[in-house]
Amino acid sequence: MNQNTDLLTLRSVSKSYGTVPVLHDIDLSIKDGEFLTVLGPSGSGKTTVLRLIGGLEPLTSGEIRLDGQDISRMPINRRPFNTVFQDYALFPHLTVSGNVGYGLSVRHVPRKEIARRVAEALELVQLGRFTDRFPAQLSGGQRQRVALARALICQPRLILLDEPLAALDLELRRQMQEFLKSIQREIKTTFLFVTHDQEEAIGMADRICVMQAGHIRQLGTPHELYYKPNCEFVARFFGENNLVAGKLGSVQGELRSIETALGRLVCSISDQPHLKTAADGASAFAAFRPEALHLADAKDTDNRFSGTIADMAFAGSSTVATITAGADHTGQRLRLRMPSRVDGSTLKSGATISLAFAPHEGHLVLA
Amino acid sequence: MTALPRLSTVLLAAITTLVAVLLYSPLAVPIVSSFFTIAHGNVDWSSPTLATYVALAENHDILAALRTTLIVGVCTVVLSVVSGTLLALYYHSRRSGRSLLQFIIFLPFLMPPIISGLALLIFFREIGLERSLLTVVIGHTVFVLAIVYRTVLMRLQSMSRTLVEASYDLGATSWQTFWRIVLPNLSSAMVGGAILAFALSFDETMITILVTGTQSTLPVRLWAMMRLGFSPDINALVALILMFTVLLCVLAARFLIPRQVATERT
Ligand SMILES: Nc1ncnc2c1ncn2[C@@H]1O[C@H](COP(=O)(O)OP(=O)(O)O)[C@@H](O)[C@H]1O
Ligand SMILES: [Mg+2]
Repeated sequence: MNQNTDLLTLRSVSKSYGTVPVLHDIDLSIKDGEFLTVLGPSGSGKTTVLRLIGGLEPLTSGEIRLDGQDISRMPINRRPFNTVFQDYALFPHLTVSGNVGYGLSVRHVPRKEIARRVAEALELVQLGRFTDRFPAQLSGGQRQRVALARALICQPRLILLDEPLAALDLELRRQMQEFLKSIQREIKTTFLFVTHDQEEAIGMADRICVMQAGHIRQLGTPHELYYKPNCEFVARFFGENNLVAGKLGSVQGELRSIETALGRLVCSISDQPHLKTAADGASAFAAFRPEALHLADAKDTDNRFSGTIADMAFAGSSTVATITAGADHTGQRLRLRMPSRVDGSTLKSGATISLAFAPHEGHLVLA
Repeated sequence: MTALPRLSTVLLAAITTLVAVLLYSPLAVPIVSSFFTIAHGNVDWSSPTLATYVALAENHDILAALRTTLIVGVCTVVLSVVSGTLLALYYHSRRSGRSLLQFIIFLPFLMPPIISGLALLIFFREIGLERSLLTVVIGHTVFVLAIVYRTVLMRLQSMSRTLVEASYDLGATSWQTFWRIVLPNLSSAMVGGAILAFALSFDETMITILVTGTQSTLPVRLWAMMRLGFSPDINALVALILMFTVLLCVLAARFLIPRQVATERT
């Protein structure tokens, strides 16, 4: 169980349904023991990736390797992976223990051992008392855990989960997120978890793979994706962000300037060589998070501009100001997020304020 | 506000009762008259009797016809359930020729029975098959196949595709998936279809008259008895058939309502 060895590798995998291409040249490596989340809007091809890996659909081209061996043509029932389906796919005519033991029973494991391992698996997902119930007699969260136990019991190398929490209400979803993480830590199995909810992805994943329109846009830790998005799509999709369009200017060490409607801004380009080499005048966006934007004070020399508060929204722990900035304070909408205080904010709608963000908290993405 | 709905409920109940009485009271007549003697259009309520049933039990022709009906029914059920299920599985697997196949299955059920019966009769004569119980069974199977096929296919189509996928995903072979997942989920539809098939075979008359040999089934026998005149044991026979048919319908409904509803009540 070494986090640095690749368990599964997808090499230029493409998939078309009929003549409609759905995945384009996907390259992806899943490390042994990691919790990898595939994140993307609906229709981006997440489920398809999962179905190709699980063997439920044939590849159109490319290959899938497990421990370096090509398994592209291995039949589904021989692949050492198990899936937790979006609709759980519990067998309605079997009890909880019948469902959980199914994978062992079709492999002709002796009855006694099945009973022992089913009990263990149900203990792990905290469903020990429900062995004789039928799926129709369980709540959504319980069905979810039965589906998980059924997948775990075969001791797969990789567990594939397709939006398993989508059908649960918010509170239960939070609990299940923590629960899934704790189980993954306990059994140390690799999880490939599909979701369209970026908060869920940030909270659970070791690494996140962002998909859009059948392409992988970026693969990295939640921190990398949040602070160093490599394209406009990821910058907009992943967390709240302010994007200001402009033309690239000169490089000064780890910083680069960009000419925008807000004036000349300076942003960090550390670890992003493609931004260092991009041509002067190329179209790009300055991107900075709402929490990086603040009221300017004397210390702020760079990235200063003024704006008008269009709206103040109280959101519990934080308060969000919507600001219009740029020429005549009309063109550019920005968001500023600050911690809430019991006395309320001194800022009022309609006020004109001076704003700034620190250069190392801004970054650039090419348009 | 409350008076109007109440008035309409009462009206609705009255109309429903009236319709029910008009539609079903003719059915009550043979039941009543199987227990009481009727003279000059008046029921003699004073002396209930089982005499008609005794007469029926001693009528060897009728008992033989009943036996024939049961044999034909059971054979028809077995044949139609097996072939109807296989055909539904074939249709569901999206192989070629499925619409044509479906059309052919439904044809004998939708055509007037006399046409189906004549077609079968000509067919049997052409291939030199003597008219016998075998030809009756074949005729009935062709006729009821559509019902079993349709019942099983509907269940198959309402079954989530991911169930089969989950089975393969957990390591099962196609054979195991069929026996352990697909078939158990079809079983109640198959039982429901079997009961309907039996009920249809039980009172099928037209095709039977055309393709049977020397033996007659119960409805055919009844038909023959009617031509000779109205005897009291016919009342008993009709009453029995009526009760039996109601029982079959109740059973079929039980098997054909979705399992979910049944278990969620517990
Ligand atoms: N069986 C199929 N036949 C044809 N098109 C499909 C099929 N399954 C998915 N697609 C298409 O492939 C694209 C990606 O689908 P999917 O992988 O389910 O996306 P996601 O899971 O990210 O929502 C969608 O545009 C969808 O319409
Ligand atoms: Mg999906």
